[in-house]
Amino acid sequence: MQQVANYMYYAGGGGLILIGLYMVMAKTNLVKIILGLSFLDTGTHVLLVAIGYVRGRTAPIFSEGMAETTPVVDPVPQAMVLTAIVIGVGVLGLALALAIQVYRHYGTLDVRNIRGLKW
Amino acid sequence: MRKAVAFMLVVVVGAGFCAVLANIPFGEDKVNVANRYMRNGVRETGAANIVTSVVVAYRGFDTLGEVTVLFIVAVAVGAVLPPGKKPAGEEKEEASLIVRTGSKVLFPFIVLLGAYIFLHGHLTPGGGFQGGAVIASGFLLLYLAWPGQPVGRKAFSAVESLSGLAFVAVGILGIVYGVGFLGNFLPLGARNSLLSAGVIPIIYVAIGLKVGAELAGVVGHLMERE
Amino acid sequence: MVSPSLLVAIPLASAFAAPLVGLGSKKLAKCIPPLALAANLVIGLLLLPRVLEKAIVVSIGGFPPPFCINLMVGPLGLSLAILISLVGLLISIYATGYIKTEPTEKYHALFLLLATGALGIVLTGDIFNLFVFFEILCVASYGLTAYEKDRAGTEAAMKYLIQGTVGSTFILVAIGFLYGLFGTLNMADIATKVPSAEPLHLFLILAFFVVGFGVEAAIFPLNAWLPDAHSSAPSSVSAILSAIAIKTGVYAIARITYTLMNAQGFLIFISLIGIITLVVGEIAAYRQKDDIKRMLAYSSIGQIGLIVFAIGIGTSLGVFGALFQLVNHALAKCLLFLAAGYMIYRAGSKKLSDMQGLARRMPLTAVAFTVAAFSLVGLPPFAGFMSKLSIVSAALKTGRSAYVAFAAIALAATVVEGGYFFRVVQGLYFRGGSKGESVGPTKAKEAPAAALIPILVLAALVIAIGVYPQLVTNVLDHAAKELLDRGAYITNVLEAL
Repeated sequence: MQQVANYMYYAGGGGLILIGLYMVMAKTNLVKIILGLSFLDTGTHVLLVAIGYVRGRTAPIFSEGMAETTPVVDPVPQAMVLTAIVIGVGVLGLALALAIQVYRHYGTLDVRNIRGLKW
Repeated sequence: MRKAVAFMLVVVVGAGFCAVLANIPFGEDKVNVANRYMRNGVRETGAANIVTSVVVAYRGFDTLGEVTVLFIVAVAVGAVLPPGKKPAGEEKEEASLIVRTGSKVLFPFIVLLGAYIFLHGHLTPGGGFQGGAVIASGFLLLYLAWPGQPVGRKAFSAVESLSGLAFVAVGILGIVYGVGFLGNFLPLGARNSLLSAGVIPIIYVAIGLKVGAELAGVVGHLMERE
Repeated sequence: MVSPSLLVAIPLASAFAAPLVGLGSKKLAKCIPPLALAANLVIGLLLLPRVLEKAIVVSIGGFPPPFCINLMVGPLGLSLAILISLVGLLISIYATGYIKTEPTEKYHALFLLLATGALGIVLTGDIFNLFVFFEILCVASYGLTAYEKDRAGTEAAMKYLIQGTVGSTFILVAIGFLYGLFGTLNMADIATKVPSAEPLHLFLILAFFVVGFGVEAAIFPLNAWLPDAHSSAPSSVSAILSAIAIKTGVYAIARITYTLMNAQGFLIFISLIGIITLVVGEIAAYRQKDDIKRMLAYSSIGQIGLIVFAIGIGTSLGVFGALFQLVNHALAKCLLFLAAGYMIYRAGSKKLSDMQGLARRMPLTAVAFTVAAFSLVGLPPFAGFMSKLSIVSAALKTGRSAYVAFAAIALAATVVEGGYFFRVVQGLYFRGGSKGESVGPTKAKEAPAAALIPILVLAALVIAIGVYPQLVTNVLDHAAKELLDRGAYITNVLEAL
């Protein structure tokens, strides 16, 4: 049981990534594919934060009264995730703008019909 | 067919994840380089929030890159969507009275909260990006209340560019003062006070304004369509 | 003494300034990219003599590596940075006249940001920073591909974005695993710790990296986006994408395989992937008769396959050949796309059949196109001859039968490449013979000056490097040795301060 609880966060993050991968590859509606991209991002962030966790330690903010030697969790994955979230949001925004433009031109969001460009 | 291939690929990738993650024990102390950040962070950078000091001081170059990505998105959304011409005869639905009144009351407080978050980024959880996102949500509220009236498009563009230049200028000032690009050249100040941590508050103010302007601008562009 | 961090800071600041300047005067905004990239080129050339002796390590933020992000400006990084600045400068001069769709100041900002991303990728010494600059490059290229806002460009950009983002996710997951195993993000630091990890884990992480960067590098089977994107984008964008963007993917894979992981056993797979990509690319290019830019895009895929094959050879001569081919392809393919841009514009269509006899009306452009085509195929006295020769002889020198077989396949693919390029050149110069009437464009005239200058400069460079390869071989030789010499990389960075 302890083992399962240990890897719960990894399973959650990894699971989200796998769900996102499946959605991007198997779904045919453009909005669902973009949603799959969002799942990929979120899963990666959860996985990264989980990798940085150290049991028994607290948040890395030394507020008033906290000694400088208080054990804290690893701040680097949190910084990485901050950057990754912003990048992910940016890409998603651009994806939605492109989806709007695609809908303008093709009138449909079904990826099977958006095939103006041949092989 | 497509679903079968996707499923198999997912299984393969999942197996890969399991194989590597089995060797990264959850919750164990595997901290290496970050030990220095945790032990010396407050002393070296003056910020109480170690994540802030990592984001702005130790790994400030990444933050510059991240800010640049958001800038690219704001510029690209403006470039990819053709300037809006509303289809003739389309009446915009007016938002209800509650939304319009509420947003008039709430908007200043939302902006205030956002500004508080990015000003205190080195003392409390939060920082430039979080504060900027809150400010952008205030503008989103305004767009929802008065659709069809994009607020200050050029002003957003100018704020974005100026804050970006301010960030790079702070970096170059570091070179001028001899501490290298993005080095700290202001006094560190007393721990846990607002005016401390050298250039970190300045950078976060620039980032907060930039992110707020960018996200509000992107939302405005997207809403300008039907 | 100039700080190498300016190589990234100058294009970045110029990109921020471009929309501001554009609010005032659009004409002035057009001049910003050429000025910024020219400054970069000058700084790069000034730094080159010093860097050839000893790599410069710049720590950003003032803390010693590995506790900060550092730039590792070695011969490899600086030579690629000079290439990026040079190619970017020429394309931006071309774009001042070519880009007419509004809003032009946003185009110039995006272009500078693409160059910034590429420069950051080749100069950084930190793996997460590599990812951030890679994202800058990718997002800028998504925006530029969709710039014309037409049907084809938007669809191509959407597909590119989706595939590129999946690739980026793999890269980020791999970085997370690296951090979980080793606790550091500095490339030199990871390189010292790598021997302590299990080979299976390293192989899996390397596989994730290759898939992630491989989407951008357009190796088979991850290259579905490239023909659409490079053919539907405006020609100056196709040029920078083919010349620079896909190369950064190859650089990242090479850096991770050699410097980070020292994965000698993996090199044969890399060569195999390269050869498959080469064959697929060249055969697909041969089949394109209707769209000259699509043909050039498939040719890029093929050439990337050749470069990746050469990277996998593992010897100093092999890596030198790869870098030389990279430089030659960048110059030649850029020239081909720039020339094709105006050829399409003047002829009014992308079809090869509509460009018959175009050389009469656009003599300089056609000559430049021919020079670049011959260089890519590998004919002496153009630049491509020496690079292909180096690659093939490096493969033969290893003596391993697999590499010899690969070299034979590469030569066969060169014949195919010659086939489709000669077809185009023949069409340009000789009209469709059996028809009595004149076919092809009668209204075309030569390309304007803003376009001709970069085209002719590139053609001159291709010829110059072909006749005097010593211009670049010394630098590339140092660069190849730097890629292979892990120990020197590690000591350079970790003992810098």
